[in-house]
Amino acid sequence: MSTDYRRQEMMAIATGREIRDGELAIFGVGLSMLAGYFAQAHHAPRVRAMTEGGVYGATPVGGLPWGIECNRLAVNAMSFTSALDALGCLVASGRCDVGIIGAAQVDRFGNVNTTGIWDGPIGASYRPPKTRLTGAGGANDIACGAKRYLIMVSHEPKRFVDRVSYITSPGYLDGGDAREQLGFVGSGPSAIITTLGILRPDPQTHEFQLDAYFAFSGIEEILANTGWDLKMAADVRVVPEPSAEELAALRRVDETGMLRR
Amino acid sequence: MPLNKLITLAEAVRQHTWDGMQYASGAALPVGSDAIAFGRELLRQQRRGLHAIFHANTQQLNLLAAAGAVTQAECGFSGLEGFGFANGLRRAIEQGKVVLEDFSNLAMALRLLAGALNWPFVPATVNIGSDLQYRRAFEPNVHPNPNKIPSLTDPFSGRQIGAFAPLRPDLAAIHVTLADQEGNAIMLGTEWSRFELSRAAKRVVLLADAIVHTDCMRQYPNLVRIPGIIVEAVVYCPFAAWPQASPGMYDVDEAHMKAMNQALGSDDGTAAYVRDYVESYADLDGYLDLIGRERIAELSHGATAFLLDPYRRWLLPHAEALAMTTAARA
Repeated sequence: MSTDYRRQEMMAIATGREIRDGELAIFGVGLSMLAGYFAQAHHAPRVRAMTEGGVYGATPVGGLPWGIECNRLAVNAMSFTSALDALGCLVASGRCDVGIIGAAQVDRFGNVNTTGIWDGPIGASYRPPKTRLTGAGGANDIACGAKRYLIMVSHEPKRFVDRVSYITSPGYLDGGDAREQLGFVGSGPSAIITTLGILRPDPQTHEFQLDAYFAFSGIEEILANTGWDLKMAADVRVVPEPSAEELAALRRVDETGMLRR
Repeated sequence: MPLNKLITLAEAVRQHTWDGMQYASGAALPVGSDAIAFGRELLRQQRRGLHAIFHANTQQLNLLAAAGAVTQAECGFSGLEGFGFANGLRRAIEQGKVVLEDFSNLAMALRLLAGALNWPFVPATVNIGSDLQYRRAFEPNVHPNPNKIPSLTDPFSGRQIGAFAPLRPDLAAIHVTLADQEGNAIMLGTEWSRFELSRAAKRVVLLADAIVHTDCMRQYPNLVRIPGIIVEAVVYCPFAAWPQASPGMYDVDEAHMKAMNQALGSDDGTAAYVRDYVESYADLDGYLDLIGRERIAELSHGATAFLLDPYRRWLLPHAEALAMTTAARA
């Protein structure tokens, strides 16, 4: 066990622990790629990792790729296809086991907003956001199609809101069976992994509750940084700290030290 | 005699673009193979009121939006991946100068496929149930909007799904790694949605990093995903995707990606960028001088250069490709 690590590193390791060996997995650029390739480097060597660009069999070289079409990924790919293939044939089809997406905002039912920040609710008439974000990308497709998916997000009150102003990627929508009624092949977000801990959905209401917190965090800090009355799971626990092997594997993947800045 | 479709970039824009058209490009990712040089030429010829169809945003849409050439846009991803938010596009949206209709990346590929097949619509099993379905920027006063991704019933299962409208842009300017004079083209790296776009667009202009002899296409016909019979014109344009990457040809120019996006973050910066990097060169050689010969050499010797090895024997030298362009005009 190591105590010399950053919060973001703990978040990436906790996310990577959710990925199982052999799974067909899709990662986006940035934090989710670090978490995914950490899993491959540490405990899931046979994970079938892909990106939405249809770049298969590649492992990043020379640091975190700037983008999905980056030469740091293209350099050792086995197959180049297309978006229709990766996001359609392999994700929206229901074939993909697990995806990792990021969020600017997430709400109590795991709905994700990456489209924009408005000053309050949008209202009946659509209007430009105060701050425009990056849009859906492939995240909506992963949220609808992957068998399960993980949301990685920094734990701050402005990001953990009662209700997102714009649902870019669906979690459990209004909770209960709201998602089920849409008939998605994917079953929804299985965890929100933050810089402070891990939230998981209640099996019936699908409201996210605190499942575990990191050793450097605590229930008080998490409540203070969550914008809704966060419920506790029956047995809230402490997440094991990174092992020396885990940290070494993560830092090999995070060659340029993005998580240590 | 094989057809020679090579024309200059300036001529391609003169012949194939007009104000207010539906213009598609960027069937690439924000760090990859986009025909960015075509967008610079659109600005040089002062095209305005464009309706931009970009599968994902790239530095081209970022620039066109910042410079005021675009009024409507449709895309999936609207950022710059590892380079952050697209400052030009984002400011134009926030200020109401560009109305952006949001879809997901799969939705854009499916809509291009529907356009390519001339289907009336394509079934939507993604984007439904979210605000991508309920909010329509082109028709802001109707909420929840029933016209963007209308609900319909799957006639087989009875499930409620959605319908995506097809895309049939007036023109697609597509970046390819290699093309011959007839417009047969090979793309190295992911083709993302360039295959679908090449069939969906009413006309196609290719921007090729290198011109090759047609024998190259006959050696690798399986890799020729865009055949010349659907191509209107070919532009020989090395570093057409700069500052983005073209796998096998050149790496992403990290410094310029950052500087460009920073410049597009303000009106003054945009004006300076347009002055220095859009209006400042006279021709292709001037454009390459602007990038800088040292930088070109450096970016060309990246880790993916080996991807080009099988094709090198067919690459036409710079002078020959330029001469063919002139010959085609005569």
